[in-house]
Amino acid sequence: MRRAVLLMPLLLYAQQQPYPPIGPDNSSETREVLRRINAAGPNQAPDLRLKQERNYAGTSTDVEPYGGVKPYKEHFLKQMEYTGPGRAEPEPADLKTVRIGFIGPIQSTVSIATGGRSHEEALGRKMLAGAQLAIEQANARGGFIKRGIPFEMDVVNDNGLWGSTGNEVVTMAYKRPTWAILGTIDSANSHIAIRVALKAEIFMMNSGDTDPTFIETNIPWTARCIGDDRQQGYLLVDYMIRKQNHKRIAIIRSSNRYGRFGVREVRDSARRLGRPIVMEMAYKVGSEDFSLQLERLREVNPDAVVHWGDARESALVLNQMRQLGMNQPYFTSDRSVSPEFTQLAGANAAGVISGYPWNPDRKDPHLEQFREAYRKRFKEEPETFAAHAYDGMNILLWAINNAGLNRAKIRDLIATRTKPWPGVTGDIPFSSVLDDMGDVFLARFDKDRWTYHSREELQIPRGYIPTRERVNRQLESAK
Amino acid sequence: MRHAHLSIVLIGAAFCQAQTPPANAKLPFVYTRWKQFTKADGLPNEHIFAVKSDGPRIWVGTEGGLALIDKKSGKVKSWTEKDGLPWRVVSGIDVNHKTGEVWLSLFGGGLARFSGGRFDHWTQMNSGLVNDVAYGVAVENDNVWVATTAGASRLNTVSGEWTVFTEKNAPMEEIWNYGVHYGDGKVHLAVWGSGVLEFDVATSRWKDYLDPDGEMEIDLYRDDGIVHVITTGANYVDKVLWVSTYFGVCRYDGRNWRAFYNQDSGLPSDFNNNLRARSGSEAWFATDKGAGAVMDAASNTWVAYTRDPLSNTGKAVVTRDKTVIETVETGLNLPHNYVVSMDVEGNDVFVGTSKGLAWGIGDGYYAGLRERPKRMSRIGGGAR
Repeated sequence: MRRAVLLMPLLLYAQQQPYPPIGPDNSSETREVLRRINAAGPNQAPDLRLKQERNYAGTSTDVEPYGGVKPYKEHFLKQMEYTGPGRAEPEPADLKTVRIGFIGPIQSTVSIATGGRSHEEALGRKMLAGAQLAIEQANARGGFIKRGIPFEMDVVNDNGLWGSTGNEVVTMAYKRPTWAILGTIDSANSHIAIRVALKAEIFMMNSGDTDPTFIETNIPWTARCIGDDRQQGYLLVDYMIRKQNHKRIAIIRSSNRYGRFGVREVRDSARRLGRPIVMEMAYKVGSEDFSLQLERLREVNPDAVVHWGDARESALVLNQMRQLGMNQPYFTSDRSVSPEFTQLAGANAAGVISGYPWNPDRKDPHLEQFREAYRKRFKEEPETFAAHAYDGMNILLWAINNAGLNRAKIRDLIATRTKPWPGVTGDIPFSSVLDDMGDVFLARFDKDRWTYHSREELQIPRGYIPTRERVNRQLESAK
Repeated sequence: MRHAHLSIVLIGAAFCQAQTPPANAKLPFVYTRWKQFTKADGLPNEHIFAVKSDGPRIWVGTEGGLALIDKKSGKVKSWTEKDGLPWRVVSGIDVNHKTGEVWLSLFGGGLARFSGGRFDHWTQMNSGLVNDVAYGVAVENDNVWVATTAGASRLNTVSGEWTVFTEKNAPMEEIWNYGVHYGDGKVHLAVWGSGVLEFDVATSRWKDYLDPDGEMEIDLYRDDGIVHVITTGANYVDKVLWVSTYFGVCRYDGRNWRAFYNQDSGLPSDFNNNLRARSGSEAWFATDKGAGAVMDAASNTWVAYTRDPLSNTGKAVVTRDKTVIETVETGLNLPHNYVVSMDVEGNDVFVGTSKGLAWGIGDGYYAGLRERPKRMSRIGGGAR
């Protein structure tokens, strides 16, 4: 009781702060980072506290790769730094707006990178709406505070002909300069984009690509504000194997990069836990008939099926499974948590479980505030890509408002942030590789709605997460 | 008086090597004469994406134009878009020694040829170039290879024929090409996410080099292959393949691999933007914390060049394995420690940084290790 009384003023104070907290940040951490980066000369790399972790991505010992061998080197434990001279670039005068790039799949097209007809526009348009709302709210609060000029979003499609993503980022870096970029969803396009961002030295926030390898590139110019397929895969595996004791799991997935890399942690973790995937089948994006893949899966008699791909295909696969008399539990990736999936799947959707990067059922006034504003602006409910883009754009706005118009300093503020960003999708704590290490959830469809469940709520066991680096500890046997 | 004496001693100590090797130690050559070029000298921009030494000239590709340095006079001539350069960001340079043509990869601008004072321009919209975001270029006989973000393209400059290499006709797990190099009859592509691809010109056959452990977050064994599939550069010299990555570097002699990391060698940082190999036992690496040169791979002997960020001076640190065996004050060497590009020609080295170009003059250069002439123990003079 006494503790509650003591906390009350703090809670009231917090509620009085405008949300999202993109304005001047007077926290001691931000002030100290600004002091250090502003004091650094053109030839100096400022002395910033680099994140150092003992374990990569919360991986338990029993699912570590080559668990029986001490590796020669572990990557991604110590944060990369930017040591170039960018912080000495002067701020430009005479700007009328502060431009922030947006790159996402918003127009239908054909892409070499994604291997055919584009398929992510529905997600990209929601992402654009979330980012747009963040910009409009920031402008309603005075725009770029130091100069009182508005933010402006430079919106481009990520999925043009002949791998145009790189060209678009070049344009945003040099031809129509922006200060930072939000994007994108497709994994191939995200990789193309950050290769340019690294060379051109402009920060990219990713809010929609859950490919684990996106962040495993060791470059200091990108961050991600959505829980990735590694985290979702770990939770799904823990649920399927450690809790439900499934022994014969099969995988069916899209043949694109999303499917190929999405299931990787499911496949590897299952094998390392002694339950190797009994069969993995791939299909071409846009397929209608999955009988070839499903008949083969049925022959190996799985006791659970995991699907990784888009909502449409996920529903079609599920329906055709049931038509074939395959009544195994169906686990999917987060893209199935959508009206498209439930409409197509109908009654078959009951009991489906998906990994999910956040908990939309969370009781949070900021989330409600966001939903209300989004509904008012777009006349619809916000979904996951909109919510994550809103968070990602707000992080960029916070960094720009506080660092000023300098790409390297914008990077620095985000990279050195130790406090989780209070997003509408939940707390977003950045790891050493600037990945979102916030909680992920399982979504379950029942009684015409999805509900979201934490590891703790479902009492899902997990393996031992070590407190020492692999190279500095004795080999720990899988338990 | 006593204080003055002490100061002389301290200054003297500082001017001498911080650590002195044994008198009879075999040591590598250390560059102690450096020239620097910045915008003050006429460069159009100081972010040096590419450098190519070509006899009496140095071609410099920057984020804001192309430059040519006359080695003898030190004079700089430059070209920007106003002068006909098709796009200002020059990411790679190679010279066709048969024709004298200078080939430029343009970061977001395609491919250009500079010849006879004229720029010719190829893009993905007017040619067989697979993408305009070009990271590197290499001349192979009559062919010009371009590493782009959506595959590699090859232009036959005699027939005008283009060939595109992607996952359809080459073992590219990913198509995100980063670097290209031709040497000893082989073209090597460094591909982000796909290791190194080797194209044998005589047989037109491909061979791939991938990280054997297949994992992004670890290197299981040091010497089992490429240190990581995200590669940034590959050079093939004396039938030895050198590879740079953002995770460390490595060397393959056709039989054995050897990886080098900051933790076990003189490599200044594991973050390597590029490399240039001089021989099978010497290679230079462009890191974010200075220029690292393995001068004798067999003995893991390195020289790392860094500038002091607070003064116009710099040093060279000689290491064997991880042990520092000599530190040489060089005067100002690199304009900045963030190194982006490299070249070597003859006895000299050229280091492109994000704040200007450094030219290391190799008077008295020798390959490998020797008992060091005493003059090398003295301070070098920044030539600027």
